[in-house]
Amino acid sequence: MNKRVEPVYLEDKLQEIRADGHLKYRSKSLPTWCPGCGYFSMADGLTVALNRLGLDNRNVVTVSGIGCASRFPFFVNTYGFHTLHGRVLPVATGIKIGNDALTVIAVGGDGDAFAIGGGHIPHAARRNVDMTYLVFDNGIYGLTKGQTSPTSALGFKTSSTPYENGDAPLNPMMMLLSYGASWVGQAYAGKPHHLTDMITAAIAHKGFSFLRILSPCVTFDKTDNTYKNLSMMVRDLPDGHDGTDMMAAMALAMQDGHPALGVFFQAERPTLAEVMQTSIDRAQQASAT
Amino acid sequence: MNKSGTDIQFAICGSAGDGTIASGDIVKRAAAAVGFHVIAFDVYPPEIRGFGKCISRIRVSAEQAYSLKEKTDVFISLNDSHAIPHVGEVRDFGAVIYDDRSIAPIREGAHITAHIRPAQIPYGLPIRQISEQATNAARSRNIVVLGYMAGLLKLPSRPFREVIAAKFATKPQAVIDANIRAFDAGLEAGRKVFRLDDVDVGTVPDHGGSEAVMMTGNGAIVRGFLEAGIQSYFGYPITPATSIMERLAVEMPKQGGKFLQTEDEISAIAATIGAGFAGSRAATATSGPGLALMTEMLGLGVMAEVPSVVVVSQRGGPSTGLPTKTEQSDLNLAVFGGSGDAQRIVIAPTNVEGCYRCAGMAFEIAETYQTPVIVLIDLYLSNRYETVFPSHENTFAPKPRKVPELAEGEPYKRFAFTESHISPRALPGDAGMVHTVTGLEHNELGRPGDGDHMRMNAKRHEKLISATRYPGLTVAKRFGDAGKVDVGILGWGSTFGEILEAMFEAQDAGISCSAMKAVMLSPLPVDELRAFFDDCRTVLVPELNYEGQFANLVSGALGRPVVRLNRTVATPMPVADILAEVKRLAAEADSPERIPATAGVGS
Ligand SMILES: Cc1ncc(C[n+]2csc(CCOP(=O)(O)OP(=O)(O)O)c2C)c(N)n1
Ligand code: SF4
Ligand SMILES: [Mg+2]
Repeated sequence: MNKRVEPVYLEDKLQEIRADGHLKYRSKSLPTWCPGCGYFSMADGLTVALNRLGLDNRNVVTVSGIGCASRFPFFVNTYGFHTLHGRVLPVATGIKIGNDALTVIAVGGDGDAFAIGGGHIPHAARRNVDMTYLVFDNGIYGLTKGQTSPTSALGFKTSSTPYENGDAPLNPMMMLLSYGASWVGQAYAGKPHHLTDMITAAIAHKGFSFLRILSPCVTFDKTDNTYKNLSMMVRDLPDGHDGTDMMAAMALAMQDGHPALGVFFQAERPTLAEVMQTSIDRAQQASAT
Repeated sequence: MNKSGTDIQFAICGSAGDGTIASGDIVKRAAAAVGFHVIAFDVYPPEIRGFGKCISRIRVSAEQAYSLKEKTDVFISLNDSHAIPHVGEVRDFGAVIYDDRSIAPIREGAHITAHIRPAQIPYGLPIRQISEQATNAARSRNIVVLGYMAGLLKLPSRPFREVIAAKFATKPQAVIDANIRAFDAGLEAGRKVFRLDDVDVGTVPDHGGSEAVMMTGNGAIVRGFLEAGIQSYFGYPITPATSIMERLAVEMPKQGGKFLQTEDEISAIAATIGAGFAGSRAATATSGPGLALMTEMLGLGVMAEVPSVVVVSQRGGPSTGLPTKTEQSDLNLAVFGGSGDAQRIVIAPTNVEGCYRCAGMAFEIAETYQTPVIVLIDLYLSNRYETVFPSHENTFAPKPRKVPELAEGEPYKRFAFTESHISPRALPGDAGMVHTVTGLEHNELGRPGDGDHMRMNAKRHEKLISATRYPGLTVAKRFGDAGKVDVGILGWGSTFGEILEAMFEAQDAGISCSAMKAVMLSPLPVDELRAFFDDCRTVLVPELNYEGQFANLVSGALGRPVVRLNRTVATPMPVADILAEVKRLAAEADSPERIPATAGVGS
């Protein structure tokens, strides 16, 4: 107990942070999120991941819907498109089809993803559009000041569920697995190093990668998805989890009360661009003969 | 059209499964192959299966006609119960061709002969029997009648044989032979009867070597898109726009284009705008219900200043409405749909050739003004056939892009205020110009903020004004008498064909009359419109909607009264209705005490 912890001084760290190079992926705008919001970890995580992957920022597009999470593109120094509530995936799909050389990263909150935008997820996943979808899941509507969301727990009291939420929450991990996403993983804003590794792996994956990031809304949720609760709930992937085994991934996803952190499932299959190229080849062969 | 030379209208009526539409198709292709102008419109039953009524109407002329005629010259019945209600559309001394050997006993009055008027000329022949004799099957009745008609009118038979052979080219040779036999058997029968010399085929016009291409409005849209080098297309099936996506699905990959059927119209326009943001020539096509879903995204396209092209083919509404019938009731949605002040460009071609030109130019206009461009047509234009004599140089291909230039150390302003109100656009991939666009109000850099809202709103509106003078695009055009006239007819979209026909007839009746078509509906070409109003004593606005959506738009913009003529009869506007209204207005103009024009809805 009386072991002394050596203090770390920011000035000493600064040199290290600057030298590392990821700051060039931060935009000049400072995040407008509330102090303590889980989303800060995502901004850090993505910039470090882009730096690690050595991607040129002019070839990266960050696309988002509407919500606190969706403010994200303004805080990273890449091309960005802040679109409409729920429509990040179709816009991102269009961007990728429009220019396949771009690295496309889609971002949104849980309401943006699973409520208003819920109809688009299966299609981006089944088409295996080569992009990364980061869902910042705080189980609440942050931007509109604290209403219930499709991932809010039963019994959660919010401004729109004053007598407790009675709608069973969705299970995003099971959904994405059954939609056919070729990379499905989970991370937690309270474990930023793991989160950064997961974002890096998700971007590196060829095909549609879905990363759910559990994150507290410190302003509108004082009872459920708090750092304290989430830190107690999350757990590591079980030893020897086989990321190619859909049954194992589903079993893991079913235990959403104790969210496991890591890559649940990963597969390789043709991307939308490859499928389209096949059509182009067939059409051109047919018209040549 | 002017009354010189050939002008024959054919109509073939039968039930689904009789080969009605196929036989009409052969007539129009044969006529076009010879070099005539063709305009044609088929009416289908809404059901896919069953024995609903089909009518194929084809007008063949030496000069370009603008609409179908009220009266048909040669009418063929392949099914009497469907044909009987239409016998009345045959003109005096026109021909009615029918089967005179019924295979079943017929109720009193159920035979077509009971409905042919004395002035009409009946031509009965044993259609089924001839078909069975020629091909051992009754299936070629629709070809037998074509042969008969060719014989009756002394039409050259070679083009028919060629078109029949081409139509069945993918079938075994025996099928082609059987159909040619059916045609020849009909031809022989037709040559035996006395010639119908009241219908004059006349001579083939000279087109200076240019070859006729038969196209529907939707086909013309596709051709325009392909010539413009369309790179991405996103769509969701809906009548009457579906054939655009189906044709593009076949043709785009041949030129390396990317085609995707999306999960709904919201994603179709979202992906179109996404691809446009990435610098791709992208488009989508839909009908009114799909456009209703797209309006929020169109607002984003306006706000984020991203080019996109949306073809909208209207059908009867509201809601699911009349999916297989034409109407012009989505003008308000196209021009105004969405939240906020979201001015966009809307162009509405009036004929098939116009569909081709508007679709071809839409990308460049969208790129120039960095905003959505809606090409607004309707079912009548989507599905009707016209002969187009396309020019051979492709003027729609993209011109080289200008990458914005930045002075050293200067930040890139995506939404910079400029004299033209258009800001130089960088694309993802361009170095040194990384930026984020947003549907939130923003400053010149694209950063969210309300401070510049008034100026930005002005920028988004003002930049479009010059679109009404876009080089090579007809935004409005006047026809008929020059100078001051008693009656001006102002129209838009497919209805303008009927308007022109009515205008010619009114002129023949001695009425001083001219017509103007408005092609650009947003922004409105107010100078041209005002000049027209200045010259016309009364302006009549015929359109296929209940209240007069274009009438409201124009009279609101100009502050001038108009006389409305509205029909929602699920068919194109009857020329006779327009003519009657023109005559009424001309009579009022003549009378010393002018009766105020009735401004109410359709009488
Ligand atoms: C069409 C439309 N409906 C509603 C809204 C209002 N709105 C903005 S963000 C939001 C919910 C945000 O919640 P979430 O997606 O979970 O993101 P968070 O703010 O929690 O990060 C809503 C309902 C909108 N902008 N557009
Ligand atoms: S409201 Fe909640 S989600 Fe939004 S920034 Fe604040 S803490 Fe984060
Ligand atoms: Mg949320």
